[in-house]
Amino acid sequence: MATWALFPLIALLSSTLAAPAAANSEGDALYALRRAVVDPGNVLQSWDPTLVDPCTWFHVTCDHDNRVTRLDLGNAKLSGKLVPELGKLEHLQYLELYMNDFVGHIPEELGGLKSLVSLDLFHNNLTGPIPSSLSKLSNLKFLRLNNNKLTGRIPRELTKLGNLKILNASNNNLCGTIPVAGSFSKFTEQSFVNNPRLEGPELIGFVRYDSGRDCN
Amino acid sequence: MGGSNITGFLPCMMLIGVVIVCALLLDQAQGVNLEGKFLLNVKSSLVDKLNHLNNWNSGDLTPCGWVGVSCSNDGDPVVESLDLSNMNLSGSISGSIGGLVNLIEINISSNGLSRDIPKQIGNCSKLQSLSLNNNYLEGEIPLELGKLQSLSYLNICNNELSGALPEELGNLSSLSDFVAFSNNLSGSIPRSIGKLKNLRRFRVGQNKISGSIPEEIGNCESLQLFGLAQNKLSGSLPKEIGKLGNLTHLILWDNQLSGVIPWELANCTNFVTLALYQNNLVGGIPRELMNLKFLNYLYLYRNALNGTIPKEIGNLSAALEIDFSENLLTGDIPSELGKITKLKLLQLFQNMLTGEIPQELTTLKNLSTIDLSINFLTGKIPIGFQYLPQLKMLQLFNNSLVGRIPDELGLNSRLWVLDLSSNNLTGSIPLHLCKNSNLIKLSVGSNQLAGNIPHGIISCAPLVQLRLSGNSFTGSFPSEMCKLANLSTIELSQNDFSGPIPSEVGKCSKLQRLLLSHNHFTSTLPVELGNITKLVAFNVSSNSLIGPIPAQIFKCRLLQRLDLSGNSFVGTLHDEIGTLSQLELLTLSDNRLSGKIPAVLGNLSHLTELQMGGNLFSGKIPPQLGRLSSLQIALNLSYNNLSGEIPGELGNLELLEFLYLNNNDLSGQIPTSLNNLSSLLGCNFSYNDLSGPIPFLPVFQRAGASSFAGNKGLCGGSLVVCSNIESPISLPQRTGKRTFLLGKVIAIVCAVIGGVSLFFIGVILYLMRRPLEIVAPLQDKHCSDPDADIYFYPKEGFTFQDLIAATDNFDEKFVIGRGACGVVYKAMMPTARTFAVKKLVGKWKCISVTLLNCDKKEKHIFTTLSVMIMPKYAYTMKVTEKCDIYSYGVVLLELVTGKTPVQPLEEGGDLVTWVRNYIKKNSISSDIFDPRLNLDDKSLVAHMTMVMKIALLCTSIAPYERPSMRAVVSMLIESNEREGHYNLFPSRDASYKDHI
Repeated sequence: MATWALFPLIALLSSTLAAPAAANSEGDALYALRRAVVDPGNVLQSWDPTLVDPCTWFHVTCDHDNRVTRLDLGNAKLSGKLVPELGKLEHLQYLELYMNDFVGHIPEELGGLKSLVSLDLFHNNLTGPIPSSLSKLSNLKFLRLNNNKLTGRIPRELTKLGNLKILNASNNNLCGTIPVAGSFSKFTEQSFVNNPRLEGPELIGFVRYDSGRDCN
Repeated sequence: MGGSNITGFLPCMMLIGVVIVCALLLDQAQGVNLEGKFLLNVKSSLVDKLNHLNNWNSGDLTPCGWVGVSCSNDGDPVVESLDLSNMNLSGSISGSIGGLVNLIEINISSNGLSRDIPKQIGNCSKLQSLSLNNNYLEGEIPLELGKLQSLSYLNICNNELSGALPEELGNLSSLSDFVAFSNNLSGSIPRSIGKLKNLRRFRVGQNKISGSIPEEIGNCESLQLFGLAQNKLSGSLPKEIGKLGNLTHLILWDNQLSGVIPWELANCTNFVTLALYQNNLVGGIPRELMNLKFLNYLYLYRNALNGTIPKEIGNLSAALEIDFSENLLTGDIPSELGKITKLKLLQLFQNMLTGEIPQELTTLKNLSTIDLSINFLTGKIPIGFQYLPQLKMLQLFNNSLVGRIPDELGLNSRLWVLDLSSNNLTGSIPLHLCKNSNLIKLSVGSNQLAGNIPHGIISCAPLVQLRLSGNSFTGSFPSEMCKLANLSTIELSQNDFSGPIPSEVGKCSKLQRLLLSHNHFTSTLPVELGNITKLVAFNVSSNSLIGPIPAQIFKCRLLQRLDLSGNSFVGTLHDEIGTLSQLELLTLSDNRLSGKIPAVLGNLSHLTELQMGGNLFSGKIPPQLGRLSSLQIALNLSYNNLSGEIPGELGNLELLEFLYLNNNDLSGQIPTSLNNLSSLLGCNFSYNDLSGPIPFLPVFQRAGASSFAGNKGLCGGSLVVCSNIESPISLPQRTGKRTFLLGKVIAIVCAVIGGVSLFFIGVILYLMRRPLEIVAPLQDKHCSDPDADIYFYPKEGFTFQDLIAATDNFDEKFVIGRGACGVVYKAMMPTARTFAVKKLVGKWKCISVTLLNCDKKEKHIFTTLSVMIMPKYAYTMKVTEKCDIYSYGVVLLELVTGKTPVQPLEEGGDLVTWVRNYIKKNSISSDIFDPRLNLDDKSLVAHMTMVMKIALLCTSIAPYERPSMRAVVSMLIESNEREGHYNLFPSRDASYKDHI
């Protein structure tokens, strides 16, 4: 039974490795976002899925190889869910989706954005946990998740983000303790204020990270 | 599990059935027969707004005359068919339908029915055809349907059914058609499907079916169409499909199928359509498939197929469309494709195909779509393409094609789309591309084309996109073109167009993108630009435009990107610019704009980048700029005449990464509120009239003196220590003192570095006689800080940015050697000098630069210079790491020997070993020093000898033998003071000494 359950997983993993990096698959990924959101301001009107790449779409910036590097949709009156397809934008450096009305979870697939420098999701209505997969974003400098309704623990894996310069997780409903190792050593409590259930910095050597009260 | 459910259910069901039948029998006397009563029950759960079922009258004896009801013709008529399709019915299907046990056909399709499919339908044992498609039915497919032994046609597509396909499906021994596409069905395909010997069409696309395709599918010997596109199927394609000799259509696109395409599929000799695209298939395209004589459509695109396209492809004599795009195919495009005379569509884009485009393709008279883009194709575009009578779409972009575009292209067919961009094409644009008035897109950017835009294009009425950037086109802006009502994109950037931008441009009412940068356009911008109300991107940068920026341009309220940089625009910036609320990028750099920076710029809430450097703007920086909450990429106001204080409000720009205010007349202190610029990666405040301490923001502390130079009053950070202990932020007294002490240490380190390096730097400066260049007004995006921890003193006539540019951001391809503690890059500078740049690893971030190709005249000059970068760890005194000392020692050795750290293996492999070996044999003599040095200067040799000894100490093999940085510093100071005449900057040095 377990073997059978593992099989598709292995298949999936190996297939992701082998998948070709297609320029218009980036367009498809962005178009998946367009289909998933409500866009009363028509800011996504230029997003024509029949074009070979999304580089002429407005609010999208590409590099010289026609790979998407920026998505600037801050303050754009968008609502709806973030789509897992966004994780396919391998060359994306800036994902600016702040100050909208996005709901639902942060897709764990965003951990696939291996070039990402800045992830700005602040001031939305996102719920659910901070995905620990974000710890794979080794180039990430700015992680701003403040003013959402995020719950759960702050994944300790995020302390691996050696380049992280700014973390703002304030004004959410996070719980548990605040990791203090690695890159988190430089963040002050300002990064975490207004999370009523957050217990404070973890005490290394005294309390196990995942012990303690219920936290979801 | 299903079985036990049935056994539990049946008695219960029978009981309910008996109760219903009894109830119906009781009032039978009053009218319609039993079947009629069942039908009336069915009607009672339906909502019949249009009264289609008006004549269903309980007073009739039989229901045989009722709308939608058909009965048998024998003496005792029974209801055999119920057809309620397309009657706008809503409500639900009553279980009473199961009482109509004589039904052969039920069709309730295309209504608005909701709720479940009643399981009682399973009692209609004579049922042959059941159509419930196009409704809103939900719930699972009742497993009771499996009892319908006579059922041959089952259509439940376009509903909202969920759950798995029941295993009982396999009991439908008569089933010929199973149509269930566009539902929410999940689970895997039941293995029992193999029992369906009569199954011809299985259509379950657009569901959530997962798991792999069971090999039992090979037993469905009648199968003609197997469609499961847009599901979540995984695993590999079972080779048993090859047993299905009747199969004509295999439609499995958009799944997660993996593994190879089994060659056994070729045994399905009747294939017409093979659609396996958008999966994760790997391996080669089986050559056996190329023998499918009836195959019309072969879609294998969007997989990870590799290998070459089989030459046997020419045997696909019936093929109409072949699409292998977006795979990993290599090798040539087979010329045998020329044998497929019926071929209409050939798409092979985004592979790794090489070689030339085969001439044989030009014989395919039916070809209408050719897309071979994004490959590595070479050679010329076959001239014969111009004779293809059906050719509508020709896309060959992103290849390495050369030669001319066929001159008569467009003359003989209704050409619709032509995209040949990013090749090496020469010649000019053919005259007749739009001859047949059908061209909507012409994209030939990034080639080496020249000449004018032909009249046939300028008058091409259907044209929507004209993209000609990156060629050598000449002539004036084609004013006639703005009669084209559909035109939405004009891209003429990076060409040699000249003359004015005509006022007619205002007639391009649908224009969204007008990109004209890097040409020779002259004169003023026409006020009619304001009529292009749909304009979103407007770029005229790097032209020779003059005059004021017309206020009318700010009527283009949809503008998102506005770039007017690199012209000679004069005058002030109108307040109307504040109404461009969609603006994201505003670039006005390098003009002669003057007057105040409008405070209304603060209204541009979507602005991510503001470039205004290199103008004549004066007055104060408006505090309203602090309201630009989206400003992220850069705020550049450098090289203007701005005065007054830096507004503290700029501290609100929380997302801002680069801030350039250098080369203005700004005065006062740098506001401490800039501490809030938490995202800042780079900044420059140099050459102003600023005073007071540099705020305690890490990026300021790290930014290096060049970012603050030329401000007489500034102190702290990497500049001179503030004379009073007053700290910009209220640090506790203890910390303040410590800062002061640390400042001293830094001053010492600086002095030493100065002592060791400044002489050589001075020599180089003298040699190059180039003006100091700190930060160009227009910050090159490629130069955006690759590593915020590297600091560079741009004293040598080139900047760190130049080094980054020359090494493509320290790209691997510029690596010429690697040492234990760093990597050496080759940097070709714009001055045609080549430097070796060493980037050291470890916490001492150093860049060591060595001139490689100095000519003989310069031979006597010591051409190695070292740029020691002030690390943050010097500030916190954490410089005890012995590897760092070692690295510093290597730098010193490079400095005095003029050799690279990587040495031939026979010489020891690295510089440290080489020096040690040399000294073992020869002791320290002047021969070891860089021969380009003036070794006749005894005091210089003495000084270098001392530095070499220190370097040897630093590179001791045992870490504990290496001195501390503090000790190295004092040793170097001693040596330096002994040979003190090397100080080229005595005033500066004196200020250091004050603190020693």
